[in-house]
Amino acid sequence: MNIRRHPVAAPLSLLILLFMWVPLIVVAVNSFNTQTIMAGWGGFTTHWYSLAWHNEDVRTGLKTTLIIAVASSVLSLFVAVTGALWWRRASPKARAVYDGLIFARIILPEVVFATALFFLFLKIHFSLGLTAIVIGHTVWNSAYAALIVQARMAGLDPALEEAAADLGATPWRAFRRVTLSALMPAIVVAGLLAFTFSFDDVVTSVFLQGASNSPLPVVILGMIRFRITPEINAIGLLVMLFTVTVMSLAVIFYATAGSLGRAGRRGSMLDMYR
Amino acid sequence: MTATTTTTTPAVDLAGVEKQFGDLVAVRHLDLQIQPGEFFSIIGPSGCGKTTTLRMVAGFEDPTAGRVSVSGKDMTGVRPYRRPVNTVFQSYALFPHLDVYENVAFGLREARVGKAEVRVRVAEAISLVQLEGRESSRPRKLSGGQQQRVALARALVNRPDVLLLDEPLGALDLKLRTEMQTQLKDLQRSVGVTFCYVTHDQGEAFSMSDRVAVMNLGLLEQVGTPEDVYHRPASLFVADFVGKANRFRGRVTDGSSGVYTVDIDGIGSRRVPGPDGIPSGAEVVVVVRPENLRATPAESRNGLTATVIDAAFLGAVRTIRLQAAPLGELTSAAGGAGAAPAPGSTVSLTWDENHAWLIQAGD
Repeated sequence: MNIRRHPVAAPLSLLILLFMWVPLIVVAVNSFNTQTIMAGWGGFTTHWYSLAWHNEDVRTGLKTTLIIAVASSVLSLFVAVTGALWWRRASPKARAVYDGLIFARIILPEVVFATALFFLFLKIHFSLGLTAIVIGHTVWNSAYAALIVQARMAGLDPALEEAAADLGATPWRAFRRVTLSALMPAIVVAGLLAFTFSFDDVVTSVFLQGASNSPLPVVILGMIRFRITPEINAIGLLVMLFTVTVMSLAVIFYATAGSLGRAGRRGSMLDMYR
Repeated sequence: MTATTTTTTPAVDLAGVEKQFGDLVAVRHLDLQIQPGEFFSIIGPSGCGKTTTLRMVAGFEDPTAGRVSVSGKDMTGVRPYRRPVNTVFQSYALFPHLDVYENVAFGLREARVGKAEVRVRVAEAISLVQLEGRESSRPRKLSGGQQQRVALARALVNRPDVLLLDEPLGALDLKLRTEMQTQLKDLQRSVGVTFCYVTHDQGEAFSMSDRVAVMNLGLLEQVGTPEDVYHRPASLFVADFVGKANRFRGRVTDGSSGVYTVDIDGIGSRRVPGPDGIPSGAEVVVVVRPENLRATPAESRNGLTATVIDAAFLGAVRTIRLQAAPLGELTSAAGGAGAAPAPGSTVSLTWDENHAWLIQAGD
C-alpha cells in the first residue's frame, strides 16, 4: 500500500505540523496581546515590544550575543578557510583524520564539548567569560564552516592558482584575486550559518560564561524561570524573525553563488559535501 | 666586428635540462631549441616528460639540473609570474568567478596596464578569438570550444614571447578539435608568437607544427619537421609512435653517404636510404610506411608476396592487412577509389627505393 495514501498519513502530518507551528503562532499572537496572563485575547498592543526594548538585561544580552556571534563566526571562518587550504594539498590519510575531527565536532553532543572546555579552562586557569564562550562556539561552528568551504574548494580547479601565477600574479595576489574570490560565496554562507548557530546557543554559553554578562538566549532562559510575561513573546518573535532572515540570506546566497563554479553544479544544500 | 651574424636567439633554449621527482626521472638531459615564431610541438605517450618540460619553461617546476632560457634570458630561479611566457592549460583553468572580459584582462591588470589600453587590448584579443558579444558571460555558460578560445585570448593578450599549450584540445570532441587545429594555426600565423604545443596526438602535432620533438621515457628521441619525423624516423619508437610502420629486419652489407645495401631477411638485397654512419655488418630495421608498400595482384620480380587477410575502407584510403609467411603481418594502404583485393588472394609487394628508411637495431 502506498504510504502516502494511508488514511492516517494526512491527519498525522497535519498533527505534526500543528505541533511544530502552533507554539510559534501562539508566541507571535501573544506578543501583541494586552492580557498579561495570556488566557485570551485582550486587544492589540505594542507595549511588550517597548518594554523589551527598554529592558536593560535584554539589551546587554543582545549586545553580548552579537559580540560573541560576530567574533566566533570570524574565527570559525579563519579556521575553516586555512583548514581547507591545507586540506587541498594534504595526503589522503591526513585528510581522513581532519574530516573525522570535523564530523566528531558535529556529531558529539554540545554538552560534552561544553563540559570538556569548562574543565580545561579551569585546569589552565583561563578565566571564563566572553572569550571562553567565543572559543567554545568556534569549536563546533568551525566544523560546519569547514564543511561548506571544503565543498567549494573541492570543486575548484587546482590549476587556477597556477593560471593566476602564469598571468603575472604574485602568490598573495593569486590567493586574493582567485582562491579567496572563488571561495567567497561559500565563505559568506558559512559565516551566516555560524552566526545564527552562535546567536541562539544556550548550552556552551551557560557552561562558559562565568561571571560575565549572559548572552540573550541565556537571559531569556533566566526570565522565564520567574514568570512568563508577554515581553518574552515579543523578544522571541524578534529573535525568530532575525534568525530566519539571516538563514534565508544564507540559502539565497548559496543558491545564486552555486551557479558560479563547478561546485555549484551539484546544486542543493544537501550535497554540499561529497 | 662582423656584421654578418645570422644566429638568432632561440625563443626557448633548454640546455642539459633534467627533472627528477624523488626516484623518478621525468626528463633526462634534454637539449632543445625553439626558434622565434615557430610552431613547435612536443609529442609522446603519457608519462614521457613532455608536460614536465612545458612546466619547466612556464616555471611551475624547477629543473634538477641544466638551464632553461627564454629569449636569451636565463630563467633559473625566476618565478612563473615573472616569466615572459603564458600558458593555455589543459583544463583551461578559467576563473569561474570572473566573466570573459575580466578573465582576459587578468594578466593586464596584474601588469598594471593603463585602463584605456586594457580596454583596447582586451577587445582586440576577444575579437581575435571571435568571442565578441560574450564579454560578460561566465566561463560556465560557454561551450568547450568557447572556453578554449577564452583561455587562448587570456594568454595571448599579454603578448608573451612564448605561448605554452598543454594538450589544449584534449577535452574537445573530434570535429571541434579539427576545427580548432586550423584556427590555432591561423592564429599563430597572424600573431607570430612562438607556440610550444604539447600533445600525445601526433596527427594534431603534424597538422600544425613547423617542427616536432618526440619524447619517450624522459628522453628526446628526435626533433625535426613532421616530414622528417614521419619518413626518416630516428628510432623504432618514433617510427611506431607517429604512424603505422612495416618493419623488415636485415644487415648492412655495404654503403655510405646515406644509402646502404641491406640484406633483408626473407627478401634479399635492397638499396635503402638511412642516416649517416651506420657501419657495415650492422643489424638494421628497414621501415616502410603502409602507403609506400604497394600491393599488386601480379607476381613481381622481387618475389615478396603476401596473402590478403582483409581490407578496411576508411574513405580516403583503404588499408589492407597482409600475411607474409616468414615476415609476419604487414599493412599496405592505397587510395580508397580502387577495388578491394579479395581476402585470401595473393599479392606481390614492392616499394620505391627512396620510400624506405633504415634504423639501426638497438638491443
